[in-house]
Amino acid sequence: MVRQSIPANLSALSDIRRLVHQACQKVGLGEAATYRLTLAVDEIATNIITHGYEEQGLTGDIVVSIERTDQNLIVTLEDTGVAYDPRTRGMPTAEDLDKPLEDREIGGLGIFLALQDVDHFNYQRYDNVNHNIFEMNLV
Amino acid sequence: MAFSANLEMVDSEARITLDGELDAAVAEQFRQAIEQAAQQKPQKLVLFMNTLSFMASAGLRVLVFAKQRMGSEVAVYVIGATGPVLNTLQMSGFHQAVYIQENYP
Repeated sequence: MVRQSIPANLSALSDIRRLVHQACQKVGLGEAATYRLTLAVDEIATNIITHGYEEQGLTGDIVVSIERTDQNLIVTLEDTGVAYDPRTRGMPTAEDLDKPLEDREIGGLGIFLALQDVDHFNYQRYDNVNHNIFEMNLV
Repeated sequence: MAFSANLEMVDSEARITLDGELDAAVAEQFRQAIEQAAQQKPQKLVLFMNTLSFMASAGLRVLVFAKQRMGSEVAVYVIGATGPVLNTLQMSGFHQAVYIQENYP
């Protein structure tokens, strides 16, 4: 079990990725799954820092918790920024993804990548804390 | 791992070599390289990704910016993208909008 508090700024993203990567290696998660989980966590952490804290004029931390169960590797990001459930954002449609780049809106892909990349994603908010929970199957 | 985006103009081609981990913290460096390239009015944008080990959606947003800044007539080539980075491009539908090659030319 790892639990570490990291200042919520973009320069800390690489530290968060390193924590996740180390945990994946420790439990023997495959290379492709490791990358997918790392990308998913990075994308949600970026959203927390940018939209949850900075755009609200807030500062704070992201608490990264990593635990292994019999069947899963679970990464949880906790933050005290504005409440936001990533699952409520509309996902790009097949038509959106087919559009020429010059006709695309800048943005919206991060959460799409995050939710596509993990085996299970959950969000909870209690005690004024956001909990973004990522799970990867180990078996 | 540190990130770098190095621009080289070869005739009418803008060649940018991306190295390291491209996340939201460093995407501005990539955007600035695109902006510098756009000012040279290239006919082609070639992005070498052989040593790019990580790319978040912030990198994809810069690719959208590149197309919008340079115009649809400027072809974008992605060279040597590694498996996971290539997978991100494919999941996002970007593989239909750029030329993806292992080697260049």
